[in-house]
Amino acid sequence: MSMSLQDYALTGTPVDDAYIVDAHAHMGPYFNFMVGDDGSAAAMVRMMDRLGIDVSILSPHIALTCDWLEGNRHAAQAAEEFPGRIVPFVVVNPHASRAAIDAEIAHWHDTTGIVAFKLHASLHKTDTMHEGYTAAYEYADAHALPILSHSWSGSGGPMKVIETLAERYPKIEFVNAHSSSGWPVIDASCELAEKFDRVHLDLTGSRLVYGGLERMVERVGTERILWGTDDPFIDPRPGLGRMLCAQVPDEDKRKMLGLNAKRLYRL
Amino acid sequence: MSAEGPKGLRWFDCNARIGPWSNPQPEQFTDIDGLLAAWDRVGIEAGLVHHTWAWEWSPPQGNAKLLDEIAGHERLRPCFVALPPTTREIDPPREFAATVRSMGGAVRIFPNMHNWRVSEWCAGALFDALSEQGVPLLVDVGEIDWEGIAGVLARHPGMPLIVLGFYYRCDRFAYPLLERYPDFYLESNTYGVFEGIEMVCARFGAERLIFSSALPELEAGGPMALVTYADIADEDKRKIAGGTMRRLLGEVG
Repeated sequence: MSMSLQDYALTGTPVDDAYIVDAHAHMGPYFNFMVGDDGSAAAMVRMMDRLGIDVSILSPHIALTCDWLEGNRHAAQAAEEFPGRIVPFVVVNPHASRAAIDAEIAHWHDTTGIVAFKLHASLHKTDTMHEGYTAAYEYADAHALPILSHSWSGSGGPMKVIETLAERYPKIEFVNAHSSSGWPVIDASCELAEKFDRVHLDLTGSRLVYGGLERMVERVGTERILWGTDDPFIDPRPGLGRMLCAQVPDEDKRKMLGLNAKRLYRL
Repeated sequence: MSAEGPKGLRWFDCNARIGPWSNPQPEQFTDIDGLLAAWDRVGIEAGLVHHTWAWEWSPPQGNAKLLDEIAGHERLRPCFVALPPTTREIDPPREFAATVRSMGGAVRIFPNMHNWRVSEWCAGALFDALSEQGVPLLVDVGEIDWEGIAGVLARHPGMPLIVLGFYYRCDRFAYPLLERYPDFYLESNTYGVFEGIEMVCARFGAERLIFSSALPELEAGGPMALVTYADIADEDKRKIAGGTMRRLLGEVG
């Protein structure tokens, strides 16, 4: 008798019959709390092996706080060290000059290529309508890339921000991070996805309310929900257990665990 | 199912709830049948439950309601909600603590929500009585500050203090207390520090972490996976999953 995906979680068995993509990961230490093994790439891959995670798409913590260029280098090094297992998001700090941002995007374009951008306007102490993000938006639009944003913040709130950006950039796929962090967030995220076909909902978060994922599936279906964990900002095991034990069919779990990300991020 | 997983895990939930509350969602259950069904789906054997009346309405009425509702349900152990003794809203401390102990139960407090302090002048007599009986005390990290936790631990040895809602930003507060006070325990549910389970086990011992589901508020599968996938000995997993909590409640064997 074959194992259900829930069986994997309850027995602590690495998942070997689903393609799993952690579509929202980080890397490295963080100022605000302790991270085991300093959240190194090697430690992350060791954990991925333990759980059966095939790929992690990541943005190092340092890129989201004090040094975006150093962080992007860390991501590139990790991807080189663990090919096929670690895929970088390219981070842009909107406070940098347009020339510096253009140069960084050109560097990635000319070397490994860009899979997607990661924006964290909150840690960069601004919002997603900041002028400094324009270069990233333009590149993503020109290449029909996804952008993962911690939040789609700006005047009028996420609905207005996405409406504005979607009209301005018709080819960007918008990934809304932390879409399952409590009932009000779940409902607001579902409203975004219901209104805009190019919005994808990311499940990353430290808690998941009972029945929350099931409501998201009921409202927006399974095609635009992406599993992610914040690893190693947050240990990936609870997030995996929540998905594996969710009250939805295993085939739907497989889409959310990795097949959707594989398609969206062209892995 | 072909993989066996860790041997002999007997899941005991230290933090579950029954009863209606102010803002339930359609997906959430409020009754014992709902809780037992949620436990059964993932194999949780038993646990401590408190009643929402005691949380959002009246601790004494809620405690009485809890006993009425769980009567005959051997899988459900009572978690009584306490108040400081001088207002006499609950039984005198020694009587209260003895009752809880005799039922193999525990005590939960909500000092912020219920407007009192864990300081000696307010609740010292309650904690003295719980300490004498070795009754476990549970409190959510959002209901108390770290100075309060440190003070209770320092003044009331012998009373296991289980901090609920312990999460990934808390280690720099908790490690000094784990080092100093053997009666200090952490709910593992939302403890999301990367490799944090392994680090706490290696440095302080697996018996300092206690499993819960936090049903019907949160999902059970996440905190279970944190234990099953941990890179620790099966014996340590058994302690976290339920062994330590059962021992604190006075179960033998």
